[in-house]
Amino acid sequence: MDSYDDEGVPAGPPPGAGIAGLSLRYQVVAAVALAVIGVLACAHVAMVFLHVAPSNTLTKQHGETVDGWIYPEFEQNWKLFAPNPLQQNVAVEARAEVETPDGARRTTDWIDLSAEDGAAIRGNFLPSHVDQNELRRGWDFFVGSRDNKNRPNGLRGQLSESYIRRIVMLRLEDHDLGGSVERLQLRSATTSIAAPSWSKEKVTTRPFYRVFPWWTVNASDLPGGVRNGRTEAGE
Amino acid sequence: MSERLEHQQGSRPGGVPEAPGGRSGKRVTVDRWAARGIQRVTAGPLGRYQSAVVRIGFAGTWLLFLLRELPHRHEMYGPDAPWGWDIARQLIAKNGAFTGLMWSDSTVWFEIVYAVAVLSSALLMLGWRTRTMSVLFMVGVLSLQNRSIFMGDGGDNIIHLIAIYLVLTRCGQVWSLDARRAARAARKEAGGVPDGGVPERAVPDRVGPVLWVVLGGFLLVGTWLDQVHVELWMLILFWGLWVAQGLWWAANRYAPHGEPRALLDILANLVHNAGLAVIMAEVCLVYATAGWYKIQGSRWQDGTALYYPLKLDYFSPWPDLSGLLASSGVMVMLLSYGTVIVQVAFPFTLFNRRVKNVLLVAMMLEHAGIAVLLGLPFFSLAMIAADAVFLPTNFLRWLGGRIAGLWDRLFRQRGKPLPEQRSESPEQPRTLVG
Repeated sequence: MDSYDDEGVPAGPPPGAGIAGLSLRYQVVAAVALAVIGVLACAHVAMVFLHVAPSNTLTKQHGETVDGWIYPEFEQNWKLFAPNPLQQNVAVEARAEVETPDGARRTTDWIDLSAEDGAAIRGNFLPSHVDQNELRRGWDFFVGSRDNKNRPNGLRGQLSESYIRRIVMLRLEDHDLGGSVERLQLRSATTSIAAPSWSKEKVTTRPFYRVFPWWTVNASDLPGGVRNGRTEAGE
Repeated sequence: MSERLEHQQGSRPGGVPEAPGGRSGKRVTVDRWAARGIQRVTAGPLGRYQSAVVRIGFAGTWLLFLLRELPHRHEMYGPDAPWGWDIARQLIAKNGAFTGLMWSDSTVWFEIVYAVAVLSSALLMLGWRTRTMSVLFMVGVLSLQNRSIFMGDGGDNIIHLIAIYLVLTRCGQVWSLDARRAARAARKEAGGVPDGGVPERAVPDRVGPVLWVVLGGFLLVGTWLDQVHVELWMLILFWGLWVAQGLWWAANRYAPHGEPRALLDILANLVHNAGLAVIMAEVCLVYATAGWYKIQGSRWQDGTALYYPLKLDYFSPWPDLSGLLASSGVMVMLLSYGTVIVQVAFPFTLFNRRVKNVLLVAMMLEHAGIAVLLGLPFFSLAMIAADAVFLPTNFLRWLGGRIAGLWDRLFRQRGKPLPEQRSESPEQPRTLVG
């Protein structure tokens, strides 16, 4: 939107003349705008700074102001691999109690859903968020919104549980379990990464399991396209 | 302040400063220095090439991402996604994030929003109706990302922020279809005869007003129907932009040489310059945060930090390659230390052009490596686009020229001359897009 006005027109300033080319009345408007915009920009940068800075005197006193400014659209977390990178592989595993068409129930083996993500990522120049983030972040959210007795923590606890169930049911849909999933159990297998070959550290690389109780599967656990073993005629 | 300005006006009537000045060694009073600064930020949009490269970079990254995830779009953002519409609604009711996808849970509406996101990214990249497309781009980014906040990573985060900041900038001044159209209109006005044809008359713009009216209608309906309470500043931003576009059009149409248009131009410059400064500050904060927090980590201190991400199943698309790099202790340490040094140092190197450029190259190379090695191509692309805001103008112009030259060699020698491109006058900056 550059201006390409003819020069020599008496009415207005030449293009790009800036504030100096305006008459006094307009200069005042421009100066006020300059002040307001300048203050807003500085305030924003200061708020973002306080948001990413460690807890300090200012954020302890005015934390709510900072949060009110930052959330929800300017939230950010740049502690990528900091202070320390993640040093464990966390695998999410599921097993199901399946009701076969003849009415019998059987329990499947543990199915490593994270390994399936890993297989989809391996050899891929463009890994999908569906493989790289969905289960991984969904699990972090789920584990992070439970108390130490494994109970959901308020609204986030409920939402994260619902989310993880729906993710798992979507993943199990790709497996032929021979019937409909009636109950579901999840566990995580956390394996520490072995110390580097040049290091003298000793790290046990045996997986540590965290097992969650069985859940009864209901209709709200089925995201779009998941039939859960039911045939067309069965519906 | 007005005193200073008058002083400035008296000393340099209508002066258009090209360089910051004050380097000649003579003493400049604080007063004149401030006046010169004010003159500079009002006279024109600074960093025209830098804002253009950020626009192209982020719009392009988001476009590629949306195309790559096309087969997964329903699972990620659709009404029946694992992060279901009702689940999202409960969370958004609490935090008030903006997303057009909450206006309806129908699949058709979802497809429309996704299509708008794809289309606006492509058009923003090309710089067609840049300001309008930047708003639609932001709407697309926020609508999809806020719909499923647990789907994203750092790459989505930076795209989210820059999409908002870009709305404030005049990022279509160069390397855009808008710039090409403006240049053509200027030539017509000057009475130029393109390519031996008849002199053309300036055609009044019809697309702009139509877009303005249509989007105004959507804005009205959106404001009316918005049940999840969107944040007030967002509403002010949308309506403010809409009113500003209308005023700008009217000023150009009815008083193209008048003072109101000059004032609007100055206001747009001010907002642009502030927006660009915020983008630059944001990038500095990203690196500062990433660097300073790493310094505190024992693994970054003992020089083994990089080894661990290379062994994470979710971030090792090429385990053999990762294993090869992870097998060399010295290499891992050099890269770990180098990463921290570069990230911590970067904001400070902005005071020295040459050092800044060296670090910029180092960071871009590191991000290119991360793209492949850790399987984070879109994150890396977005970070490279963010880094590019600090590239020197000379380099960007040279790069633009090279790409335009390459384009010419590839597409013009096939015997199909593009008539609209031949009318490009040699002194106009070449555009990336044609």
